[in-house]
Amino acid sequence: MVVDPSEFISYGEWLANALGGFVVLALVIFVAWTVIAFALTAIRNTPGQAVSIVGGGLKRAIFEDFPRSSLQRTIGMSRLAIQEAIRNKVLIIFALFVVLLLFAGWFLDVQNDHPARLYLGFVISTSTYLLLALAMFVSSFSLPNDIKNKTIYTITTKPVRAHEIFLGRVLGFGAVGTVLLLLMGIVSYVFVVRGLDHSHTIDTASIEWDEETGLGTGFTSVDSHHRHDFLINRNLEGEGPVGVTEVAQGHSHTIFRDGENYVLGPPTGDLLARVPVYGSLRFLDRYGRESEDGGINPGKEWTYREYIEGNTLSTAIWTFEDLSPEMFSTGPGGDEGVLPLELNLRVFRTTKGDIEGKVRGEILLVNPDKALPVRERYSAPIPFEAEEFQTFQINIDYNDIRKQNPDTAELEKVNLFQDLVTKGSLEVHVRCRDHAQFFGMAQADVYIPAPEGSFEMNFFKCYLGIWMQLVLVTSFGVFFSTFLNGIVAMVATLSIVVMGISSGFIGEVQSGENPGGGPIESLIRNITQQGATVELDMGETATSVIQALDSLYLDTMESVANLAPDFPQFNMASKVAYGYDIHLELILKQITTTLVYFTVLLFAGYFVISSREIAA
Amino acid sequence: MSKSVDDKQDVIIETRNLTKVYKDFWGRPKVNALESLDLEVRRGEIFGLLGPNGSGKSTTIKLILGLLFPTSGQALVFNKEASDVSKNERIGYLPEESYLYKFLNAEETLDFYGRLFNMSAGRRKQRVRDLIKLIDIEWAKRRQLKEYSKGMTRRIGLAQALINDPELIVLDEPTTGLDPIGTREMKELIVRLRDQGKTILMCSHLLADVQDVCDRIAILHQGELKEMGAVENLLSVRDITQIQAKGLSEEAQQQIRSIIESDQADLVSMENPTTTLEDLFLGIVRDSKARPGYNRKRERDQQEPVAAAETTGASDESVDSEDES
Repeated sequence: MVVDPSEFISYGEWLANALGGFVVLALVIFVAWTVIAFALTAIRNTPGQAVSIVGGGLKRAIFEDFPRSSLQRTIGMSRLAIQEAIRNKVLIIFALFVVLLLFAGWFLDVQNDHPARLYLGFVISTSTYLLLALAMFVSSFSLPNDIKNKTIYTITTKPVRAHEIFLGRVLGFGAVGTVLLLLMGIVSYVFVVRGLDHSHTIDTASIEWDEETGLGTGFTSVDSHHRHDFLINRNLEGEGPVGVTEVAQGHSHTIFRDGENYVLGPPTGDLLARVPVYGSLRFLDRYGRESEDGGINPGKEWTYREYIEGNTLSTAIWTFEDLSPEMFSTGPGGDEGVLPLELNLRVFRTTKGDIEGKVRGEILLVNPDKALPVRERYSAPIPFEAEEFQTFQINIDYNDIRKQNPDTAELEKVNLFQDLVTKGSLEVHVRCRDHAQFFGMAQADVYIPAPEGSFEMNFFKCYLGIWMQLVLVTSFGVFFSTFLNGIVAMVATLSIVVMGISSGFIGEVQSGENPGGGPIESLIRNITQQGATVELDMGETATSVIQALDSLYLDTMESVANLAPDFPQFNMASKVAYGYDIHLELILKQITTTLVYFTVLLFAGYFVISSREIAA
Repeated sequence: MSKSVDDKQDVIIETRNLTKVYKDFWGRPKVNALESLDLEVRRGEIFGLLGPNGSGKSTTIKLILGLLFPTSGQALVFNKEASDVSKNERIGYLPEESYLYKFLNAEETLDFYGRLFNMSAGRRKQRVRDLIKLIDIEWAKRRQLKEYSKGMTRRIGLAQALINDPELIVLDEPTTGLDPIGTREMKELIVRLRDQGKTILMCSHLLADVQDVCDRIAILHQGELKEMGAVENLLSVRDITQIQAKGLSEEAQQQIRSIIESDQADLVSMENPTTTLEDLFLGIVRDSKARPGYNRKRERDQQEPVAAAETTGASDESVDSEDES
């Protein structure tokens, strides 16, 4: 799973950085409104009158309209929006969603390796698309319809303030969307849980027993398009588990004894909410020196992960902070316990070798206190084997953490927290052992799993992200509808969503990180069949003109895209599907972003409505 | 309190040099919808705006309500700028077509508009009940407005205009779509509202309705004010004197005034005959078309400054003195 590097920034730090952006956003909209309002008024009247009218409008907004806001009126407007939406039969969207779920079996791959990811991805993305499309449609057409049907006359001739018209619609449509989202969320949860729930049977006669150890192996029955290998220990007594199955389709089952037979418990491990404790990442180059450029890029275009070279001193170093013995120790004095590490490494092979085989690596636990002698700081290497595309967990038992005595060359047991952790800080060094092979990693690829969170709560947080997108889209839809007609307002809202989703890509194209040039250059490259990475062969002058035009276009696009909300930030489907807890700080960032956009759009909507001639 | 302050408080609507020019996309003037309109509507009167289609009546109302912004000049309502939303607390507006939300029923409609006036739940409920009774629509109060006839919609439109018990009621074509009984009831209601002290500004094409209920009227044509004054003054034919006498001798008929006096006959009436509003209206429109720029009011004001002062109704004293006589 890919984790956006911005997620590692703490809320306080993020807010301090984002505050500047928010102020710029507010200023841009405020200045744009003032300039446009002044220009239009000056055309209609004289520049002197325009100053007085626009200034008067600002004064009225600050001293009269906003202070005299009424909850009652806003509720009235919201109720109207709700009634309008319901009587326009928007609830049919829910029916459509249910129908899609009913027939999901027709188009979902039931033999998928990770059905939980598939089901969750399906229900979350379907809910998101349906709701956002609905919000875009309803919010963009409502106000223009009121203006077209002139029903707005009976509103604006009442003591309703312009921002109450905006607010009422956003809250009303938001409320309808919330109810729909809740219903979809409940149905989705039931669909996923029931869809994944299954059991298998074990044919006792088919179990192969090892008479010496009392261990039995075999296969379960095929149910839900899969079966499991299992291992049972018949010597275990009591009502507890006597065995466990291998992981298949992303889950396993615990096995219990039932008289002479064995039964399987419900599937486990498919609906998780792992809480990762992330560390910061830095690299050492092949000679063991601090690398300023990070890891190696072995030629892959995607730069999310960086690589370390095998059988060299090239090292990836994660520094974990705020660790305490209580997190892992089980015995008194911190002598007993397990340090769990989850690794999600990529493997890049430069020699074919055994393509099915795993690549070897090693972990060293290192005390970050550089004042200590080197021999005191490093644990002995802890070996592991990595496989492409597999997340695996290494549980480092305290008893296995050793340090080589430089005098005797003997491996001696060390105490993790006394010898290797300083002020809660621990370094984990990862190296690749195999020559000519590489490990690829990003900051989120090695972490310490804290106690697992609740899947249900994670699911709820994910839907909270959809809800915030709903509020954003509704706010933009209503805002655009204050000065555009319905269909244009909807296209404008859609453009904002697309801009928000692709702002990263636009930035990459603009900066040249994504080669091939802007729209004109890439079109020419397509027609003339020139590769994206070679120089454009059109002659010096023509190339300069093309690139200048592209640059102008991309600069404009990037500026607009930077004003749009970062919609991918709100999409947390992959976190839920891959079983990672959604951190509260991420939710806080999203709530802040939503509130800022909502507030800015509320003010912008107020100024547009109050400065437009409703009956013109 | 000085008289001028009283006068100021009595002026509910005032327009000063109010002008509206509709412009095209490029900002070029397209239509002069209203030109330098000066008028005052005073507390407690029924003021009618008359004019053919495109004369500027609706534009005037929209400017007064703040639905349009003036190109120049000013519209004041309760001495506040028309764009000031707080003035709407005291206004009720019945638009030309009862632009209402068709998916609501009568009760929901009135309750919704009641909320917009920040009315408490109890007061809203009471007001909704009273108004539904007033417009006699109890039997259909739970039906969606899309099922209503035009007359019923008109009535619910009127009810929404009265929900806040307004001081100023602006009625755009109030009798449109009503049957004769409905029209009569509407006119009676308008007069009743005036008698309760409310001020009414209405515009209508139906001249008989205006003649029946309005105290004063203004006639607009091609965006210009062509005539304004008290209805009875405007309809009076000033250059003709009509005398009705009983038992007048043949001789006395030759020297009417002196003979009436000398003969000590009973003078039944001596007055200017009145024309109909329809004749007046059509005459103004005809004159205006034949002589663009011709303004009957201005001409009359120049000829009879004293009479002009009376017809503008600017002085309540003149009305009072007429009433007393």
